[in-house]
Amino acid sequence: MTTMTSYRVALAGNPNSGKTTIFNALTGTRQHVGNYPGVTVERKSGVCRLDGLNIELVDLPGIYSLSASSIEEKIVFQELLSTRLDLIVNVIDAGNVQRNLYLTTQLAELGIPMLLTFNMADDARRNGLQFNLPMLEKYFGAPIVETVGSREEGIDELKAAIAKALRQPAAPPTPMRYDQETDDAIQDITAAISQLPPPPGQPIPPRYFAIKLLENDPEVSALPTFAEVLPLAASWRDRLALRHGLNSNTLMADCRYGMIAGACREAISYSHEHRQQLSDALDKVLTNRFLGLPIFLLIMLAVFTFTFTCGEPFVKLIDFFFTRLASGLGALWPDSTLPLLKALVLEGVIGGVGGVLMFLPNILLLFLAIAFLEGTGYMSRAAFVMDGFMHKFGLHGKSFIPMLLGFGCTVPAVMATRTIESERDRITTILILPLMSCSARLTIYLLFIPTFFVERWQPIVLWIVYLLGAAIALGGAVLLKSTLFKGDDEVFVMELPPYRLPTLKSLLIHTGERAIMYLHKAGTIILAASIILFFINTFPRPQTYTVDYEAEAADIVASNLPWDETKEALCTLNSQRRAEELEYSIAGRIGKKINLVMRHAGFDWKASSALVGAFAAKELFVSQLAILNTVSDSDCDDANEMLRDRLRASYTPLQAFSIILFCLISMPCVATVAVVKREANSWRLAIAQLAALTAMAFVVSFLVYQGGLLLGFSGVV
Amino acid sequence: MDNTVISSTLEDYLEAIAALVEINGHAHTKDIAERLNVSMSTVSSALQTLSSRSLITYQPHMPVLLTARGAERAAVIRNRHAALRDFFQNILKAPYQEADAAACRVEHALNDEMMSKLVLLAEAISTRDDCRQLRAYLSRVMPELRTESTTGAPLVALSELQEGQRGIVVKVDDNLRGIKKFADLGLVRGSLLQMEGHAPFGDLLRIKVMSSSLSLRRQDAAHIWVRLTDNPADSMNTSPQGSR
Repeated sequence: MTTMTSYRVALAGNPNSGKTTIFNALTGTRQHVGNYPGVTVERKSGVCRLDGLNIELVDLPGIYSLSASSIEEKIVFQELLSTRLDLIVNVIDAGNVQRNLYLTTQLAELGIPMLLTFNMADDARRNGLQFNLPMLEKYFGAPIVETVGSREEGIDELKAAIAKALRQPAAPPTPMRYDQETDDAIQDITAAISQLPPPPGQPIPPRYFAIKLLENDPEVSALPTFAEVLPLAASWRDRLALRHGLNSNTLMADCRYGMIAGACREAISYSHEHRQQLSDALDKVLTNRFLGLPIFLLIMLAVFTFTFTCGEPFVKLIDFFFTRLASGLGALWPDSTLPLLKALVLEGVIGGVGGVLMFLPNILLLFLAIAFLEGTGYMSRAAFVMDGFMHKFGLHGKSFIPMLLGFGCTVPAVMATRTIESERDRITTILILPLMSCSARLTIYLLFIPTFFVERWQPIVLWIVYLLGAAIALGGAVLLKSTLFKGDDEVFVMELPPYRLPTLKSLLIHTGERAIMYLHKAGTIILAASIILFFINTFPRPQTYTVDYEAEAADIVASNLPWDETKEALCTLNSQRRAEELEYSIAGRIGKKINLVMRHAGFDWKASSALVGAFAAKELFVSQLAILNTVSDSDCDDANEMLRDRLRASYTPLQAFSIILFCLISMPCVATVAVVKREANSWRLAIAQLAALTAMAFVVSFLVYQGGLLLGFSGVV
Repeated sequence: MDNTVISSTLEDYLEAIAALVEINGHAHTKDIAERLNVSMSTVSSALQTLSSRSLITYQPHMPVLLTARGAERAAVIRNRHAALRDFFQNILKAPYQEADAAACRVEHALNDEMMSKLVLLAEAISTRDDCRQLRAYLSRVMPELRTESTTGAPLVALSELQEGQRGIVVKVDDNLRGIKKFADLGLVRGSLLQMEGHAPFGDLLRIKVMSSSLSLRRQDAAHIWVRLTDNPADSMNTSPQGSR
């Protein structure tokens, strides 16, 4: 048996450099690929075997610099400082070498062997760039491989280069040369640092810290080890700044860009001038001062229409499948064996989870549309276009991306707020995010809207509900920013990457990932909640019934009606019995208690009890309502249609609208509360959010319902 | 001794008179006024002061003449000026016009002793054998160091650029918030920028830096100063990506 030595390799690079595509190509691990800054916030790692070597590949967040000026940069710095790395693979967008190499100059100082990947080399060549790779290799002291990540070109060469670099541990890159005086300063500070005990963690050359101290990096300057070198670094910094007539904070940035400019002048030539004309032409229209906003709103409307119309046939198919499954199982499973378990499986599990899975097609299509917009690079344009608008509400364009993701699911949306540097803006965005209708709430709308509104109006009503949520969110943002989170704006700068057509593979990976996340949720939280809900729906059982159902059933069977009528009569009878049982159960009792208040907003006790389920997961509002209306009873016809009939019988459109509004605004699901707690690092904030949203939901539905009644819309059937 | 210590303005007059006397043999009020670009009446009041200190002989409608003390004083002032100008020109490698203008401003601020020491230093650097390496170093390093603010077209704030216009970054204000972040993204001195447009409602700008497109706020862009250019080769980014 050989010892399993495992190597650790990190992928580093600018956002939009195609790092994630390379990561996928190397590991085959499924991962989110996006096109707007900061999509890879989570630390991703995968394992691959190259040429007999075991490699753990870490996909570091996309960053522009190692300056600790954003959360991503801090994460990367911690990763570099705290773990052993055998190799850094620096992915570079070959079409934008100058900016991308800026990070390289910093990585090269870490004393870790490095490999450069000039990605999207085909684009660069088409744009007329020619690289003198041997010369660049010499400059940065690292081998260079050209790749086209999206077509997996050059991946074999990259794998070979990685294996080679690991097998024969290459010398770390040679230290960068800036200009005479800067080099002197670095040397002098390095000498002083070498006398000090090194900071805890991974050995990083003193020279790296010397440079960081020289550029007054807040993170490194704060390390207690270096306290006594700070005055030396400051005096050099002032001297160099004075000498070059520069701001002392940007000294090293100037030096690095100056050096890169020199290297590029020698090693890169331009055979012909060519711009990304298509990308520019598209931007002329899509980010136009006047057209940009209407186009954006149209795109959003198109996304929702797409979700709605293309999803419908699949929804029906899945619905059909679960109905048949339940009826088939119900027929096979005799009533005499474990009747309670049978009820649990048929009603709790199949009814609950099936009701949720039914909307999977809609959710997949929505995620597919969002993934497409992200992949093309339109999302950052959306942020750009929306910024002026968002700014009026105290937020900025970057808050818009999480808000858009919030239409998918609030949980990843809350996580996506990490791209917002300002803590105040970030918390504000997190607090209003649940108001963006997530796909789980879509299931509620998809049940109610087709039930109560004619087909022509359905997409419009849906659109209004979404816009209303967004409007309340923005109003909330203004309120929060002018009270709790008052203060100056933070620095805002965002890259708009060139438009690219995302590969089908990356779209499918992305959508598949979201689907798995959704199914995972359905399979765990929702399954567990379905079971718990089944119990609170079932117990305690009434000791005596108002009607003797057994006798009535016997009467019906004895009356010798045609089969169809007998079945229907039994079905109705059974439903009545269930309704009575439920009314007596814990859920019914809770629902009735809540309903003392909620009825003023148009609710009945069934809808109120369903709210109990909605807290576990918004989708459960639907399945709970289904169980409460006893439509999952497998002996009866098409469950979904039947539920809609029942709803139509129980509520007026005004009540339905009020219920929709309440579900839109009210308390976020358990998963959201948990993630908000994690991201905001405060239970107080998460609970305050829950309470405030629920209170607001009641006020809004109350006003709409009561207002509607006053205006003459009928409140009762 | 006291009355030879005169204000810097009067030193300028004395210097001007000496220069005119050297050229014409005498100096007329009108010539002095022209040379210093001031009015005749201002000149006469200054001349009266100089006369009261017995540095010149001055009577209305007569050419101005320097007294022996005045001539001596003027010579000192002119030597100083020349020494400073030479220092700026030969050692700091400034162009003649600029060196002359700077000398005018600095000459009044130094006392005689400090002035003499500066001259000594300049001479040592210019002539001594053991300063040969230093001279080579200076003639290499000094010309490279040109802050753009003193040359060329007037500076324009990045926020004022018209769509399609290009400029090279000359200066970034120290009080720009997040200056480091902007620098990391390539907004450093010498970068070629191109205005690509404005977002709806106008608060965001979009600029091309190197080969990428960045958006930033107008009020931040107002702290970045550029010199308009048509020739991208002036910048440190040689990429034609920024050109149209």
